[in-house]
Amino acid sequence: MVKMTLIARVTDGLPLAEGLDDGRDLPDSDMYKQQVKSLFKNLSRGHNEASRMSVETGPYIFHYIIEGRVCYLTMCDRSYPKKLAFQYLEDLKNEFERVNGPNIETAARPYAFIKFDTFIQKTKKLYQDTRTQRNIAKLNDELYEVHQIMTRNVQEVLGVGEKLDQVSEMSSRLTSESRVYADKAKDLNRQALIRKWAPVAIVLGVVFLLFWVKNKLW
Amino acid sequence: MNTENQGYPNFPARPPPSSSSPFASAPPPGVPPQSGGPESVGFRPHTRPFTPSGPPMAPPVGVMRPFQSPLVSQIPGQGIRPPPPPPSSNSFPSTAYGPPGGGSFQRFPTPPPPSGPPQTQTLAGHFSPPRQPMGPPPQSLTSGVPGGYASPPGTGFQQSMPPVNPSYPGVGGPQPSFPPSSYPPQTGGLDPASFPRPLDGDVEPNTFAEMYPMNCHSRYLRLTTSAIPSSQSLASRWHLPLGAVVCPLAEAPEGEEVTLIDFGSSGIIRCRRCRTYVNPYVTFTDSGRKWRCNICSMLNDVPGEYFSHLDATGRRMDLDQRPELTKGSVEIIAPTEYMVRPPMPPIYFFLIDVSFSAAKSGMLEVAAQTIKSCLDNLPGYPRTQIGFITYDSTLHFYNMKSSLSQPQMMVVSDLDDIFVPLPDDLLVNLSESRNVVEAFLDSLPLMFQNNVNVESAFGPALKAAYMVMNQLGGKLLIFQNSLPSLGAGRLKLRGDDPRVYGTEKEYTLRVAEDNFYKQMAADCTKFQIGINVYAFSDKYTDIASLGTLAKYTGGQVYYYPGFQSSIHGDKLRHELARDLTRETAWESVMRIRCGKGIRFSSYHGNFMLRSTDLIALPAVDCDKAYAMQLTLEETLLTTPTVYFQVALLYTASCGERRIRVHTAVAPVVTDLGEMYRQADTGSIVSVYTRLAIEKTLSGKLDDARNVIQQKIVKALREYRNLHSVQHRLGSRLIYPESLKFLPLYGLAICKSTPLQGGPADASLDERCAAGFTMMALPVKKLLKLLYPSLFRVDEWLLKPSADVDDLKDVLRRLPLGAESLDSRGLYIYDDGFRLVLWFGRMLSPDIAKNLLGADFAAELSRVTVQEQENGMSKKLMRLIKKVRENDPSYHPMCFLVRQGEQPREGFLFLRHLTEDQMGGSTSYVDWILQIHRQVQQNA
Repeated sequence: MVKMTLIARVTDGLPLAEGLDDGRDLPDSDMYKQQVKSLFKNLSRGHNEASRMSVETGPYIFHYIIEGRVCYLTMCDRSYPKKLAFQYLEDLKNEFERVNGPNIETAARPYAFIKFDTFIQKTKKLYQDTRTQRNIAKLNDELYEVHQIMTRNVQEVLGVGEKLDQVSEMSSRLTSESRVYADKAKDLNRQALIRKWAPVAIVLGVVFLLFWVKNKLW
Repeated sequence: MNTENQGYPNFPARPPPSSSSPFASAPPPGVPPQSGGPESVGFRPHTRPFTPSGPPMAPPVGVMRPFQSPLVSQIPGQGIRPPPPPPSSNSFPSTAYGPPGGGSFQRFPTPPPPSGPPQTQTLAGHFSPPRQPMGPPPQSLTSGVPGGYASPPGTGFQQSMPPVNPSYPGVGGPQPSFPPSSYPPQTGGLDPASFPRPLDGDVEPNTFAEMYPMNCHSRYLRLTTSAIPSSQSLASRWHLPLGAVVCPLAEAPEGEEVTLIDFGSSGIIRCRRCRTYVNPYVTFTDSGRKWRCNICSMLNDVPGEYFSHLDATGRRMDLDQRPELTKGSVEIIAPTEYMVRPPMPPIYFFLIDVSFSAAKSGMLEVAAQTIKSCLDNLPGYPRTQIGFITYDSTLHFYNMKSSLSQPQMMVVSDLDDIFVPLPDDLLVNLSESRNVVEAFLDSLPLMFQNNVNVESAFGPALKAAYMVMNQLGGKLLIFQNSLPSLGAGRLKLRGDDPRVYGTEKEYTLRVAEDNFYKQMAADCTKFQIGINVYAFSDKYTDIASLGTLAKYTGGQVYYYPGFQSSIHGDKLRHELARDLTRETAWESVMRIRCGKGIRFSSYHGNFMLRSTDLIALPAVDCDKAYAMQLTLEETLLTTPTVYFQVALLYTASCGERRIRVHTAVAPVVTDLGEMYRQADTGSIVSVYTRLAIEKTLSGKLDDARNVIQQKIVKALREYRNLHSVQHRLGSRLIYPESLKFLPLYGLAICKSTPLQGGPADASLDERCAAGFTMMALPVKKLLKLLYPSLFRVDEWLLKPSADVDDLKDVLRRLPLGAESLDSRGLYIYDDGFRLVLWFGRMLSPDIAKNLLGADFAAELSRVTVQEQENGMSKKLMRLIKKVRENDPSYHPMCFLVRQGEQPREGFLFLRHLTEDQMGGSTSYVDWILQIHRQVQQNA
């Protein structure tokens, strides 16, 4: 059963449309919405993600597809057939592109296409019951293949960005520190050199000075 | 019944010029009041008769009755019946206009018999005209007339009016040294005709708009005084309210709409500390890299995208492309941070009582038709959602799924444990389920036309509606026909028990009886549900309780007592249509910010306060205004100006989230006189009205009225003290020019429906309904209700020229007193809620015939104005239409009244003549005298 549907622009994570009474009867809807938002943020940061993906979170699962720089995301029960969920998203995508296609890039304000929610609402109802003839037919249809779609955990997905950040931060720290190390090493080298040869040089100097003074006086 | 009213000595017949010339033309300037004698006598209460023998006053008397022919027809403007044959030779019998026995509408003075007392005596109370156009204040001159007119006990106070020696020469002469604007002159003579009257309607002070052209327009924000006191001590000497009236969504005329701007990627520019929005009064420094907040003087960084170079004078180069830096009112598109959820669609949910009386009165039919006709105009297509629940002793839900052809009705009879039979499809998308909704509305009146159920399970129905709506919020329209009698929230017939009036418990009648209502209202506000209540019963419905729902959800109460579709149908049709189709702001919150050192301490109107200063408004529109009062926190304001910023965050019907920002500035002053000069009567009256109505919810009506009077007295006394030092004022009443209408409006507040009289003057429901309405009215509308317009139309109708353009001419307002009425005329009274056509008794039958057709001689209560096939009638209808179009927020219903038709005339018309005395209320003259006396007492 579809719990929540969101459509957002991938480039900047701007929400474009949202199913209307999303979050109804959902005790933690705010928490899940928050997760969706950070998911979008991740996507907009450009980590290369598969264009179709399922992400598990608690008792639910997010399915999303990214097409034409727009991300269509829905949250379902885990028991809800994956195939139907993606069919649902495909339907949304086709209609959304048909209606709003040319304006997606220029949308400036959040929820610019909120009018689309009526379509979301309507489509959602069609997919509500998995046992209707129509949905069973879809399930049996082998044309649409969903097996290869990857399923990951939300912590993992949200964590990916974090880890990458950590790694790059570490490496940059490494670079700067190694540079500092190189500088210091050079400095030490020089000091060692000085320490080694300075007495000899001084002695030689004194000897030459004595020679020179002796020649001059005589 | 020989009550005479000394307060109305002035009839249209004016004193001939000769009588006034001694005063008018050559007032001895600056003559101080003549010592003690007349003065002290004059203002000692209960100094009754004196013999006004002063020659100068004599002439005016002459103009009065004694010289006139006793024929009634020769005395214009007195709505008096033909003399009853026997009783006396008096051709001007006093006539009781009140209901039999009540006598409450008795108003016209009994004139002296033609052979009556000597002239000099009759003139008691008649006074020389004012010396200066502006300023009439009163010196009182009433006295008992030694002509044998015993005043009945109980009309006492005018008798106690201080008489003033008519020969007192210097009173009121303009004192040359007084600049007229600040020291309005006073007159010793008292000519009610010259009292200030707001006949031009509400005049907004505009000096300020000129001084600060970047302020928002006064239709959005009006301060009670545009000069803020600099210290607490100064503020405490200003006895008038210090605050503002805000109407955030006021309708702007064509071409002056609020500009919509989008900050785009830079985000909305706001002060980091006080969250003020960027506005025309912020200053840019550091060559454009920083800006200083005008409210808290914090220095903020300018984001890169918003940066612009400054020119030599320190102004931004891109000023002309930045409306938010040049205009006081802008609308900003809100980014995601301002949304807790996607913008909601407009939602209209109807909760309709279908018990016996609903069908019988025709309410169901009118409501269903109106809703149906408005379906096309509901804002927010194609997202608009709609739903219905009807109820009598059971609840009826309607499944409106778009795939059905007919709505399915589901009946729930368990009132104790409410459940919603369907999760979806009770609230449906209008554009999809259009056919089902229309089918439902067509069949609704038929379904219940034979319903004999008289119960009303209002509380459970409200809960059910709440359960359906609480996901999204929206507007809930309740149509209630009888007292809620079943389930939670059932109400008792606590009714109009006159015995409770005057006791300490009086106020409990005017507040909600059951906590259920307040609780429901609080819950609804939380889930963005705004409630409008339409009440139709002819019996007691406890509007006080029902109205609570509207009060705390930012809604409105519409009350149609004794609804009959043939009479009230039009009114309901227009007002419901207006309610459904006007532009509405959803799920909104409003906050008003002001500079350091002051803060808004109290808010008055229909809304719920979410925190100390955040006003929650589930649904708000252009017909709602909110008042608030200021307090000074710091003892001394050091800044030269104070800024105010109103911000309303809302969802427009089209699905955009917007912030409407109004910014205004006012100077800080150290001089009380300046505060008086910059005072705005309209705004002050608006605040007072709300305070008085709130007072009636915790105290007696009498107390509320006294409070108003006391406040006005205090203010005038302070003003007097301010000026009595430099100038010898004698015993004159002085007032600032800017507040010249304040006393009259104060009187009008006391006479307004929520506050007037006692138990017999207005039914409890009417009182409460009017109270809820007045709490939300914008300033202009409120002033019109308080001092309605009255104009004469018969002459205009008779004029052959049928130009449309001369309408302005005919809409000349007359003072609202019986003297303005001529029994040969036809008058229209318009308070914005009702139109009354008053047919004088001597009105030419031709006019009546032309206007009313064959019914012209019938009882007018059964006649309605319809367009007849003649020019005159068409002209009148055009005028009425024009009057109605002037203000579409309410639909004034048209009443016809013939002079002398009792008791209708009294209830519909006479009691609303603000300046007249009626029942226990005060006339304008007496009111001024009362105030004057009190000002004097502790001066």
